[in-house]
Amino acid sequence: MTNVYVHGIGMTQFGTFVDKSMKELLLEACIQALEDAGNPKVDAVFVGNFMGGAIYNQEILGAIVANELGLGFIPTAKVEGACASGGIALRQGIMGILSGEYETVLVAGVEKMKHASTSDVTQAINAAMDNDSNEKQAGLTFPGFFGVLANRYFHETGASKKHLAMVALKNREHALNNPLAQFQKPATLDEIMNARMITNPLGLFDCSPMTDGAAALIISKRNSGVHILSSAQSSGPTQMQDAEDLLSIPAIRESGRLAYEKAGVGPEDIDVVEIHDCFSMTEVLAIEELGFFKKREGWKAVEEGRTKSTGDKPVNTSGGLLSRGHPIGATGIAQIYHLVRQLRGTAPNQVDGARLALAQNLGGTGSYSTVHILERV
Amino acid sequence: MKIFKCNSCDYASVSSKYTCPKCRSGKLEAQEVSPEGTVFSFTDIHIAPAEFADIAPYTIALIQLDEADVKVTARMDGPVQIGDKVALDKMEDGAYLYTKL
Repeated sequence: MTNVYVHGIGMTQFGTFVDKSMKELLLEACIQALEDAGNPKVDAVFVGNFMGGAIYNQEILGAIVANELGLGFIPTAKVEGACASGGIALRQGIMGILSGEYETVLVAGVEKMKHASTSDVTQAINAAMDNDSNEKQAGLTFPGFFGVLANRYFHETGASKKHLAMVALKNREHALNNPLAQFQKPATLDEIMNARMITNPLGLFDCSPMTDGAAALIISKRNSGVHILSSAQSSGPTQMQDAEDLLSIPAIRESGRLAYEKAGVGPEDIDVVEIHDCFSMTEVLAIEELGFFKKREGWKAVEEGRTKSTGDKPVNTSGGLLSRGHPIGATGIAQIYHLVRQLRGTAPNQVDGARLALAQNLGGTGSYSTVHILERV
Repeated sequence: MKIFKCNSCDYASVSSKYTCPKCRSGKLEAQEVSPEGTVFSFTDIHIAPAEFADIAPYTIALIQLDEADVKVTARMDGPVQIGDKVALDKMEDGAYLYTKL
């Protein structure tokens, strides 16, 4: 159990913002969060970001935030953990408060991707794999890992490409009600099933997009209406051939187990969930690993509509990475942004009476995972 | 093909590790096994990074070796299905290139 509470939240529109700088996006989200929290004194800043150095030639994001917002000569850092950069940044802020060093921390996440070519971004994303390996030399890609996994999942279960399409469709339908989401255009199951193939069996709609955007939180040990019950983080295999069970992502399972244990709750207690659907297949695995549904049966829950905002275990009511968008470093923070709105009762696709919320943020092909459990108090 | 097997439990891998990730006490020791195996799963990569763009689409397979509880990621010389028997054709630039038997 932590003694940390969420006081303020901020998030930019997610999408294509070629005319806005990374700094502008980052500051916009931070200022929203500061205002939402009533402009408290901030003791430290942690910023999640993955490829700012690689494709935007910008580092020192922590110091830039402190300087531009006039926060004083406080300690700051950028945190990198691939697509889990945001979740790990949040955890660093929580650990700083738990240690007694800080009272109030500004945690943010940002990514700027749409100015760069798809091949440059693909190259940068490949940095989240173990590149000194025979797998990389063979030509395995990031989406390719989840393609291999999906084909095996189909082989061992009754699932098919249609079930993955149902995940993508659900998240698109959720995004249609979220004005901050990247994709606001409706899609059909046929359109999703027949879209351009990226890596068999995953098509365009099964893969999260390139996105510009930022999100921010103010957390503090002073009480508020949203208590962070627990924060957990785990690592896992960095190569596909090292997986003991290809259809399991141990980092997700272990971070979930630790988060439940620390919070004193179980998967059955959670009212609303944001998980890391970097690919439609990943959402199916994550709902199994987090204990919401039995192993190898997540696809049945999808088929029965149980993960829709109207279902008994609503997943990605924001639209998820697939349709809210995936500005890599911002994603883990945007998940919390949306869940805090769920707990405040002001979210798009509001789940009635939501009290307990869970966020899971994944980095690499299962290399990192964080889980945070929030409670309305 | 060289694999690495733990000297105190049944863990084995195609790559070496400082200590055994399973029992966390054993050391991994090199062993030679046949590279022949069965396709455990695969994908056909249509959108490739720049360095592989000229050969796309190409097939990546995760191969279960016959002689050890070890899986190896390899590039195939053509399409495959789960369960296909495969053999090592050659090593090239640090990659295992396999062919269907």
